Amino acid sequence: MRLGETVLFVGFTGIGATLLLALLWAPSVSINAFESPAAQRIFYWHVPAAWAAFIAFGALFVGSAGWLFKRSEWMWRLHVAGSEAGLATGLMAVWSGCVWGAAEWGTPWDWTDVRLNSFGLLTLLAIYVVLGRNSQPDGVETRDTFAAFGLYGFVLVPLTYIATRIWTIRHPGPVVATGDGSSINSDMGLVLLIGAVSFTVFIIGHMMASMRLTALEQRLERMQHNLDGGN
Amino acid sequence: MAKALLNLVDVQVRRGMNTVLDGCSLSVGGAQIVALTGANGAGKSTLLETAAGLLPMEQGHVKHGEVVVADAEGRRRTSPFTTGMVLQRNGMLGSEMVSEHLQMAMSMSGHSVDIAPFLKAFNLMHRANDLVAHLSQGQARKVAVLAGLLPAFASPTPALVMLDEPDAGLDDASIETLVGWMGELCTMGHALLIATHDERLMVHATQLFDVGQNERQVNTPPAGKKAEPRPSRPVKPLSPASFGVRMHLRTMMWLNTNAMAGLLTLGLFLTMGDFMEELDSLQQMGFILAPTLAVGLCGDPLVAALREERAGVWWRAVGGGEPHAGWMPLAIGAAFTLLSTTGLGNAREAHVILTGAVLCFVVWHCVGWMQRSTQRLARPHAVFVGLLTPVLILPYSILISVLS
Repeated sequence: MRLGETVLFVGFTGIGATLLLALLWAPSVSINAFESPAAQRIFYWHVPAAWAAFIAFGALFVGSAGWLFKRSEWMWRLHVAGSEAGLATGLMAVWSGCVWGAAEWGTPWDWTDVRLNSFGLLTLLAIYVVLGRNSQPDGVETRDTFAAFGLYGFVLVPLTYIATRIWTIRHPGPVVATGDGSSINSDMGLVLLIGAVSFTVFIIGHMMASMRLTALEQRLERMQHNLDGGN
Repeated sequence: MAKALLNLVDVQVRRGMNTVLDGCSLSVGGAQIVALTGANGAGKSTLLETAAGLLPMEQGHVKHGEVVVADAEGRRRTSPFTTGMVLQRNGMLGSEMVSEHLQMAMSMSGHSVDIAPFLKAFNLMHRANDLVAHLSQGQARKVAVLAGLLPAFASPTPALVMLDEPDAGLDDASIETLVGWMGELCTMGHALLIATHDERLMVHATQLFDVGQNERQVNTPPAGKKAEPRPSRPVKPLSPASFGVRMHLRTMMWLNTNAMAGLLTLGLFLTMGDFMEELDSLQQMGFILAPTLAVGLCGDPLVAALREERAGVWWRAVGGGEPHAGWMPLAIGAAFTLLSTTGLGNAREAHVILTGAVLCFVVWHCVGWMQRSTQRLARPHAVFVGLLTPVLILPYSILISVLS
């Protein structure tokens, strides 16, 4: 097994362990503070998934900028890996958030919440970039266009970050690293930490595997091009 | 050598994964005809479109006179010269009339000449008021060639004419006529850059440039008689927005897409009965403006229409930008908001109508920009631009909360 796939496997195992700990070991929350306390356990999946998505979107941004300004093949592969990993983890965060929102708020989505919408838009952008890129032959036109959208999408990241702190309408504010001491129980914090580390390892493995796959695709295309006679 | 109207300096261009032009430098002065030669795929069309500032470069820059019109950093500036352009495709919409297209092409130079002698020479006089869609392929090609040459004939100052295989689809007599006009433009001091495989055009070039080999060869064309400039009169250039509005009004393409989306949304609300009275003011405003939002979310149907014969690319080359709907979304947005307030039984308030108009205008042009951003791709229709449109829901939500 290659290094990327090994890291991916370790991350995936950690995510599975997080799920088990969240369902079986993590303490229950106060029944008075939540409409649906059982659904709160989604939090152990939802928050690390969102964290991993931000790492992936960061990679998408760096890869996009690297391609546009340096014309680096490695950076293009990072763009591809970042968008695919961002799509996977973004969908996990959105899906888990909708389930939790439906149970806790009575509605899976709130169009007036900036944080929800900006994160949803990031995920939609990842879908757009992944589907759009797969629909086109590889070339500078394709790379330039989607790298530009990769840069554009990253503008949404600080907006989402700011929104979590100052623009909270329905979505709760941050529960860790708030600067005024952690607001969650230590056991909860431990499960959340395991989740965050697992998702980070998962996303790194995912991107390593994806970059290797893209490199193989590029090698295959070059070989086909040579077989075509270079025309 | 005459002062250079066109300079390509150390240009590198990639198409797909291939480097088509590498370190290419070329200069074309006034009263010169430079023929681009080379095998299929050598990069003649790429060089021509790069010279027009249509293609991005990996390195180098393109100057029209002293103005850098395009460089590898992505900077773009409008050419100081009148530009005539013939693409491999005809660059016209089927809904344009022949005379209208030619007058419009000439208007880019700020001047106009009588088109009748040109139409007669190409045996197109009886087709002057026909739609381009009604012409045969050969006739349409003749119109495209005239649209590339006429701006230079009308221009009192040196013009830059770029022709990509203008001979394709033309009969022998028409090619003879074309060669005569090329010589005439050359003696008038204009610069011509032509991509061709036709020997009859090549022999009239003052220079041959082998694109594959990056080599220049001086040629001695047959002596031509000195041509006098044709009488021209000043005209107002047609803007991309004016052309876009004209095409929208003529084809009613907005009715088929934008208006239908708005009407269907409003119709759906009306089937729900008298529900507005039970809603709070924020919800009411949301329902009133929703049909207008639907109108805008369809974007500009002109973007798809301009893919026909690469008409949008032709406009970028000669008109400085792609045609768009201009002010039309304002009027359509106001009309739909009025219709919506009336249909849903709310009071017609001026500020709501005005907000609807602005909402439609902003959303329409934002989606239009998203649609245009994919035009450079090999398969723009295969990209799901609709996935990006939810970005407009948030400002819509904020807008209705402010209004209510």
